[in-house]
Amino acid sequence: MKKIKIAPSTKTGALHWIHQRVSAVAMIPLVIWLCISGVQIAQDPEGYLPVFFAYPFNAVMSILLISASLYHGSLGMRVIIEDYISNKMKMHFYIMFIHFLSISTAIAGILAIIRLHLIG
Amino acid sequence: MDKRPTSPHIQIYRWNISSLTSIMHRASGVALYFAVIIVCWYIVHYAYQINIGTNEDKCDCWSKSIMKVAFISSIFIITSALYYHFFNGIRHLFWDIDKGFDPKTSKINGYLVIFLAAFFTIMTIAISFYLKTY
Repeated sequence: MKKIKIAPSTKTGALHWIHQRVSAVAMIPLVIWLCISGVQIAQDPEGYLPVFFAYPFNAVMSILLISASLYHGSLGMRVIIEDYISNKMKMHFYIMFIHFLSISTAIAGILAIIRLHLIG
Repeated sequence: MDKRPTSPHIQIYRWNISSLTSIMHRASGVALYFAVIIVCWYIVHYAYQINIGTNEDKCDCWSKSIMKVAFISSIFIITSALYYHFFNGIRHLFWDIDKGFDPKTSKINGYLVIFLAAFFTIMTIAISFYLKTY
Protein backbone atom coordinates (compact mmCIF):
# COMPACT_ATOMS: atom_id res chain seq x y z
CA MET A 1 0.00 0.00 0.00
CA LYS A 2 1.20 3.43 -0.91
CA LYS A 3 2.07 5.74 1.95
CA ILE A 4 -0.05 8.87 2.07
CA LYS A 5 1.95 12.03 1.69
CA ILE A 6 0.72 14.91 3.86
CA ALA A 7 1.04 18.35 2.28
CA PRO A 8 2.98 20.86 4.43
CA SER A 9 0.08 23.26 4.73
CA THR A 10 -2.17 20.68 6.45
CA LYS A 11 -0.12 20.63 9.65
CA THR A 12 -1.14 24.02 11.07
CA GLY A 13 -4.20 24.73 8.94
CA ALA A 14 -6.80 24.47 11.72
CA LEU A 15 -5.04 26.97 13.96
CA HIS A 16 -4.64 29.34 10.99
CA TRP A 17 -8.36 29.03 10.23
CA ILE A 18 -9.36 29.71 13.86
CA HIS A 19 -7.03 32.73 14.13
CA GLN A 20 -8.49 34.16 10.93
CA ARG A 21 -12.04 33.87 12.30
CA VAL A 22 -11.15 35.24 15.74
CA SER A 23 -9.42 38.29 14.25
CA ALA A 24 -12.41 38.77 11.91
CA VAL A 25 -14.84 38.78 14.86
CA ALA A 26 -12.54 41.17 16.75
CA MET A 27 -12.55 43.60 13.84
CA ILE A 28 -16.37 43.97 13.58
CA PRO A 29 -16.61 46.68 16.32
CA LEU A 30 -13.28 48.19 15.21
CA VAL A 31 -14.48 48.66 11.62
CA ILE A 32 -17.72 50.26 12.86
CA TRP A 33 -15.60 52.68 14.94
CA LEU A 34 -13.38 53.34 11.87
CA CYS A 35 -16.35 54.26 9.66
CA ILE A 36 -17.87 56.61 12.26
CA SER A 37 -14.56 58.35 12.97
CA GLY A 38 -13.74 58.54 9.23
CA VAL A 39 -16.96 60.51 8.65
CA GLN A 40 -16.09 62.62 11.71
CA ILE A 41 -12.58 63.42 10.40
CA ALA A 42 -13.88 64.22 6.90
CA GLN A 43 -15.90 67.13 8.32
CA ASP A 44 -12.76 69.13 9.13
CA PRO A 45 -9.50 67.21 8.55
CA GLU A 46 -7.11 70.04 9.30
CA GLY A 47 -8.77 70.91 12.60
CA TYR A 48 -9.64 67.43 13.79
CA LEU A 49 -6.71 65.26 12.66
CA PRO A 50 -4.03 66.80 14.98
CA VAL A 51 -6.16 66.16 18.09
CA PHE A 52 -7.84 62.94 16.95
CA PHE A 53 -5.37 60.57 18.63
CA ALA A 54 -5.22 62.67 21.82
CA TYR A 55 -8.49 61.03 22.90
CA PRO A 56 -7.54 57.79 24.71
CA PHE A 57 -10.45 55.86 23.18
CA ASN A 58 -9.39 56.74 19.63
CA ALA A 59 -5.75 55.85 20.36
CA VAL A 60 -6.67 52.46 21.85
CA MET A 61 -9.12 51.61 19.07
CA SER A 62 -6.67 52.58 16.33
CA ILE A 63 -3.83 50.54 17.85
CA LEU A 64 -6.17 47.55 18.17
CA LEU A 65 -7.36 48.04 14.59
CA ILE A 66 -3.81 48.22 13.21
CA SER A 67 -2.76 45.06 15.06
CA ALA A 68 -5.89 43.07 14.22
CA SER A 69 -6.12 44.16 10.58
CA LEU A 70 -2.44 43.49 9.81
CA TYR A 71 -2.64 40.09 11.52
CA HIS A 72 -5.81 39.21 9.63
CA GLY A 73 -4.31 40.62 6.44
CA SER A 74 -1.08 38.65 6.67
CA LEU A 75 -3.05 35.43 7.31
CA GLY A 76 -5.24 36.16 4.29
CA MET A 77 -2.33 37.13 2.03
CA ARG A 78 -0.62 33.88 3.04
CA VAL A 79 -3.64 31.88 1.83
CA ILE A 80 -3.74 33.79 -1.46
CA ILE A 81 0.01 33.31 -2.02
CA GLU A 82 -0.27 29.59 -1.23
CA ASP A 83 -3.14 29.29 -3.74
CA TYR A 84 -1.69 31.15 -6.71
CA ILE A 85 2.08 30.69 -6.53
CA SER A 86 3.10 27.08 -7.19
CA ASN A 87 6.88 27.61 -7.06
CA LYS A 88 7.76 26.60 -3.46
CA MET A 89 10.82 28.86 -3.23
CA LYS A 90 8.95 31.94 -4.47
CA MET A 91 5.96 31.09 -2.29
CA HIS A 92 7.99 31.01 0.91
CA PHE A 93 9.83 34.17 -0.11
CA TYR A 94 6.57 36.08 -0.63
CA ILE A 95 5.04 34.76 2.63
CA MET A 96 8.16 35.85 4.52
CA PHE A 97 8.08 39.26 2.80
CA ILE A 98 4.42 39.76 3.75
CA HIS A 99 5.16 38.84 7.38
CA PHE A 100 8.10 41.25 7.61
CA LEU A 101 6.09 44.03 5.94
CA SER A 102 3.12 43.51 8.30
CA ILE A 103 5.20 43.42 11.47
CA SER A 104 7.33 46.47 10.62
CA THR A 105 4.28 48.46 9.51
CA ALA A 106 2.38 47.56 12.69
CA ILE A 107 5.27 48.59 14.96
CA ALA A 108 5.89 51.86 13.10
CA GLY A 109 2.18 52.74 13.01
CA ILE A 110 1.64 52.01 16.70
CA LEU A 111 4.70 54.07 17.63
CA ALA A 112 3.41 57.00 15.54
CA ILE A 113 0.00 56.81 17.21
CA ILE A 114 1.62 56.83 20.66
CA ARG A 115 3.59 59.92 19.63
CA LEU A 116 0.45 61.67 18.32
CA HIS A 117 -1.37 60.67 21.51
CA LEU A 118 1.32 62.19 23.71
CA ILE A 119 1.87 65.47 21.81
CA GLY A 120 -1.70 65.98 20.47
CA MET B 1 4.16 17.58 -5.02
CA ASP B 2 4.88 20.43 -7.43
CA LYS B 3 2.41 19.07 -10.02
CA ARG B 4 -0.61 20.11 -7.93
CA PRO B 5 -2.99 22.45 -9.74
CA THR B 6 -3.45 26.07 -8.72
CA SER B 7 -6.95 26.87 -7.55
CA PRO B 8 -9.69 28.68 -9.21
CA HIS B 9 -9.19 28.69 -12.96
CA ILE B 10 -11.29 31.76 -13.56
CA GLN B 11 -11.00 31.52 -17.36
CA ILE B 12 -13.03 28.31 -17.65
CA TYR B 13 -15.77 28.90 -15.08
CA ARG B 14 -19.16 30.36 -15.89
CA TRP B 15 -19.72 33.45 -13.78
CA ASN B 16 -22.38 33.21 -11.09
CA ILE B 17 -23.11 35.08 -7.89
CA SER B 18 -21.23 32.74 -5.54
CA SER B 19 -17.98 32.76 -7.53
CA LEU B 20 -18.31 36.52 -8.08
CA THR B 21 -18.69 37.23 -4.35
CA SER B 22 -15.81 34.86 -3.55
CA ILE B 23 -13.33 36.42 -5.98
CA MET B 24 -14.44 39.92 -4.97
CA HIS B 25 -13.85 38.99 -1.32
CA ARG B 26 -10.25 38.07 -2.17
CA ALA B 27 -9.67 41.12 -4.36
CA SER B 28 -11.09 43.50 -1.76
CA GLY B 29 -9.01 41.79 0.92
CA VAL B 30 -5.78 42.36 -1.01
CA ALA B 31 -6.78 45.98 -1.71
CA LEU B 32 -7.56 46.57 1.97
CA TYR B 33 -4.27 45.00 3.08
CA PHE B 34 -2.25 47.42 0.95
CA ALA B 35 -4.55 50.29 1.97
CA VAL B 36 -3.82 49.57 5.65
CA ILE B 37 -0.07 49.51 4.88
CA ILE B 38 -0.27 52.87 3.07
CA VAL B 39 -2.45 54.49 5.76
CA CYS B 40 -0.08 53.29 8.51
CA TRP B 41 2.96 54.79 6.79
CA TYR B 42 0.97 57.98 6.19
CA ILE B 43 0.28 58.17 9.95
CA VAL B 44 4.03 57.70 10.56
CA HIS B 45 4.79 60.51 8.10
CA TYR B 46 2.15 62.70 9.73
CA ALA B 47 3.36 62.05 13.28
CA TYR B 48 7.00 62.89 12.62
CA GLN B 49 6.71 66.16 10.72
CA ILE B 50 7.99 69.13 12.67
CA ASN B 51 4.94 71.38 13.03
CA ILE B 52 1.79 69.34 12.64
CA GLY B 53 -0.75 70.88 10.28
CA THR B 54 1.30 73.94 9.30
CA ASN B 55 3.45 72.75 6.39
CA GLU B 56 0.61 72.91 3.87
CA ASP B 57 1.98 74.29 0.57
CA LYS B 58 -0.22 77.01 -0.82
CA CYS B 59 0.39 76.42 -4.57
CA ASP B 60 -2.54 76.29 -6.99
CA CYS B 61 -0.80 73.99 -9.46
CA TRP B 62 -2.23 71.20 -11.61
CA SER B 63 -0.52 68.41 -9.68
CA LYS B 64 -2.51 69.30 -6.58
CA SER B 65 -5.89 68.98 -8.33
CA ILE B 66 -4.82 65.65 -9.87
CA MET B 67 -3.78 64.45 -6.41
CA LYS B 68 -7.14 65.57 -5.04
CA VAL B 69 -9.05 63.61 -7.70
CA ALA B 70 -6.83 60.55 -7.09
CA PHE B 71 -7.36 60.88 -3.34
CA ILE B 72 -11.14 61.11 -3.56
CA SER B 73 -11.41 58.20 -6.01
CA SER B 74 -9.14 56.02 -3.89
CA ILE B 75 -11.22 56.91 -0.82
CA PHE B 76 -14.31 55.79 -2.77
CA ILE B 77 -12.69 52.50 -3.87
CA ILE B 78 -11.32 51.72 -0.40
CA THR B 79 -14.65 52.55 1.29
CA SER B 80 -16.57 50.25 -1.02
CA ALA B 81 -13.95 47.49 -0.60
CA LEU B 82 -14.13 47.88 3.18
CA TYR B 83 -17.94 47.67 3.31
CA TYR B 84 -18.00 44.76 0.86
CA HIS B 85 -15.35 42.81 2.78
CA PHE B 86 -17.11 43.62 6.08
CA PHE B 87 -20.54 42.37 5.00
CA ASN B 88 -19.23 39.38 3.07
CA GLY B 89 -17.02 38.51 6.05
CA ILE B 90 -20.09 38.47 8.29
CA ARG B 91 -21.73 36.20 5.69
CA HIS B 92 -18.69 33.90 5.89
CA LEU B 93 -18.92 33.84 9.70
CA PHE B 94 -22.59 32.82 9.45
CA TRP B 95 -21.58 30.07 7.02
CA ASP B 96 -19.05 28.84 9.59
CA ILE B 97 -21.78 28.33 12.19
CA ASP B 98 -23.80 26.52 9.47
CA LYS B 99 -26.41 29.17 8.76
CA GLY B 100 -27.51 30.24 5.27
CA PHE B 101 -25.22 27.88 3.40
CA ASP B 102 -27.80 26.14 1.19
CA PRO B 103 -27.67 27.33 -2.45
CA LYS B 104 -30.95 29.27 -2.47
CA THR B 105 -30.28 31.28 0.71
CA SER B 106 -26.64 31.93 -0.15
CA LYS B 107 -27.68 33.28 -3.56
CA ILE B 108 -30.06 35.74 -1.88
CA ASN B 109 -27.33 36.58 0.68
CA GLY B 110 -24.85 37.32 -2.09
CA TYR B 111 -27.14 39.87 -3.74
CA LEU B 112 -27.96 41.30 -0.30
CA VAL B 113 -24.26 41.74 0.51
CA ILE B 114 -23.58 43.58 -2.77
CA PHE B 115 -26.63 45.79 -2.23
CA LEU B 116 -25.69 46.60 1.38
CA ALA B 117 -22.09 47.42 0.41
CA ALA B 118 -23.21 49.77 -2.39
CA PHE B 119 -25.85 51.38 -0.17
CA PHE B 120 -23.51 51.98 2.78
CA THR B 121 -20.74 53.32 0.50
CA ILE B 122 -23.05 55.85 -1.13
CA MET B 123 -24.57 56.82 2.23
CA THR B 124 -21.14 57.31 3.85
CA ILE B 125 -19.82 59.45 0.98
CA ALA B 126 -23.06 61.46 0.91
CA ILE B 127 -23.04 62.06 4.68
CA SER B 128 -19.37 63.12 4.55
CA PHE B 129 -20.06 65.65 1.78
CA TYR B 130 -23.20 66.89 3.56
CA LEU B 131 -21.47 67.43 6.91
CA LYS B 132 -18.18 68.94 5.76
CA THR B 133 -17.52 72.43 7.02
CA TYR B 134 -14.52 73.61 5.01
